[in-house]
Amino acid sequence: MLEIRGLRKIFGAGKVALDGVSFEVPAGQMFGFVGANGAGKTTTMRIVMGVLQADEGEVLWNGRPLTFAERRTFGYMPEERGLYQKMRVGEQIDYFGRLHGIDAGAVGKARDALIGRLGLTERVNDTVESLSLGNQQRVQLAVALIHDPELLILDEPFSGLDPIAVDVLAEVLHERARGGVPVIFSSHQLELVERLCDSVGIVAGGRMMASGSVEELRDAEGRRLRVVVRDPKPGWADGLPGELSKDGDRDVLTVVGGDDQSVLRRAVEAGHVESYGVERPTLVEIFREAVA
Amino acid sequence: MNGLLMVAGREIRTQVRTRAFVISLLVSALLTGGIAFAPKLFGGPDEYNLGRVGGQELAVQALAPEAKITWKTYPDEPAATTAVLDGDVDVALVDGTRVLSNGEIDDELGLLLQSANREAQIGAAGVTVTPLQVQSVGADTRYESARQGIATVVVLLLFFMIMSSVMVVAMGVVEEKGSRIVEILLISIRPWQLLGGKIFGLGVVGFINLTAVVAAGLVGAFLSGFATDFPPGMAGIVVSAVAWWILGYAFFAALAGSLASLVSRQEEVGNVLQPMMMLFLISYGVSFFASASPDHPVAEILSFVPPFSSMIMPVRVAASEVALWEVLLSGGLMVVAVAATLMVGGRIYERAVLRTGRRLKVSEVLRTK
Repeated sequence: MLEIRGLRKIFGAGKVALDGVSFEVPAGQMFGFVGANGAGKTTTMRIVMGVLQADEGEVLWNGRPLTFAERRTFGYMPEERGLYQKMRVGEQIDYFGRLHGIDAGAVGKARDALIGRLGLTERVNDTVESLSLGNQQRVQLAVALIHDPELLILDEPFSGLDPIAVDVLAEVLHERARGGVPVIFSSHQLELVERLCDSVGIVAGGRMMASGSVEELRDAEGRRLRVVVRDPKPGWADGLPGELSKDGDRDVLTVVGGDDQSVLRRAVEAGHVESYGVERPTLVEIFREAVA
Repeated sequence: MNGLLMVAGREIRTQVRTRAFVISLLVSALLTGGIAFAPKLFGGPDEYNLGRVGGQELAVQALAPEAKITWKTYPDEPAATTAVLDGDVDVALVDGTRVLSNGEIDDELGLLLQSANREAQIGAAGVTVTPLQVQSVGADTRYESARQGIATVVVLLLFFMIMSSVMVVAMGVVEEKGSRIVEILLISIRPWQLLGGKIFGLGVVGFINLTAVVAAGLVGAFLSGFATDFPPGMAGIVVSAVAWWILGYAFFAALAGSLASLVSRQEEVGNVLQPMMMLFLISYGVSFFASASPDHPVAEILSFVPPFSSMIMPVRVAASEVALWEVLLSGGLMVVAVAATLMVGGRIYERAVLRTGRRLKVSEVLRTK
């Protein structure tokens, strides 16, 4: 389990990048990190990976401060992709695997499996610079995965991928998570985060505005009742909580919290009830709410 | 250590496989081999082909022991004339009285033939001429010009071979920093392993280059006969040049690697390396001066001061006789300087290489942790 405790980071010009960010990612969980540009996602990930030093706070791995040796078992995909442009795909993946301490034989096997999985088999002898950006990203991912990492930190791994590559990557990450590896990734594609992640952290202005499972965040947001009544009696909703809006000859009443049964009774009395249901906020809505 | 060797291995494989490396290796080897041949082409021993019709051969060889003299005989004058016009022989001697030449006769050859003729006739008259004895009252200067030539070659060799390898180190550091590869690399290895591996690996590549050039030069010198002019202790001169290359390379590469880690773009490399270039160019300038005046006090003193010593001492060794203790003392001081540069440079590198963006100052890097 990875625990982030009260990270603070102030950059040179007095700009507060992180202002007490805390969260945890248990084994086997997929954690989606969302937030506007400059919110502090990348800074947090860089601190976990040791690229940056925090001014305050700590990063714990299985309850103890993270060491270099432990970090060596992590897989990292930085925000700005970095590969040797003139090096061949296969050699590059092998090189990083070897640096992580995998012996030559095992690295070859792992590399073949990985490039097959990521659809790079035919590119294995090409130099990185000759690949499309999408394929370079796959190589970057292979570099992060080659040593069978015990934790994965990926900064915007889905950006720039075509839908098929997105599916492949999602599946690969799921596999790792099922194997007990905590997976942390940032993304602006909120539907994707909602679909993939067990838990989500929303950062804004260097602070964790909300974190937890998508379910928890929805519950925190509150249940939202939506009733559509056709040809209602005017003034039927007077005294009821919530917002009333008109859509042609229909009234739409949205109520957060409150007594759903009494609302239903009033609606039935008022006219023809076309739909009645509890709506769950999407991650997009939760995000807007949290960041607002 | 393992990480360092892996980094070094990658540098070596990457460099050795590039077409640029193979081409530059071939070109520099050919060039050096060619230069070693040059004395033969320009100032080598003379070679004369002489024709003869009747009469006796003149004792030209005795007058010019260095020259290669070949005599050919022809049955009659027309055959000899054809041979002269075709360039088969330089001149042809007819009946020991006339010389056929194609236009003006070569001055030196003309003198040789005239003297030989004179001696032959005087000898025939029963008079012997005692040749003048030459006696040197100065020091043995037989090898002075050879030593100076070799010293100049050592200066140029060190200049190019150190600089080319050092620049590859600097470019490599910036490549890794600018592209952020370093962020992934430093998860699995320490900064000193990364910088150390790069310096070591590119050093091996540079050493291969240097060895090829030196070998080509020596082979060329032996084939062309220039090697006969080598001063005694030539092996020592070669070994010292190679050893000093290693020290000089290590020093300047550590300096270049740490300075390069201050910038994130290749365009800035030239600028940030300026202090190192100053040191290097001073070393080069003084060592060039030392190749002509190896015993001048400035050359003598600076041949003990790192990093200047890395280029000046090998030049002094080539250009004059230097006592072994002087070489060892200077070498020891240089080793200390290399160790210190590696330590301080490693610290700068470690703190600067992850801070991408604007150019950093050494002072601010050393101040902050």
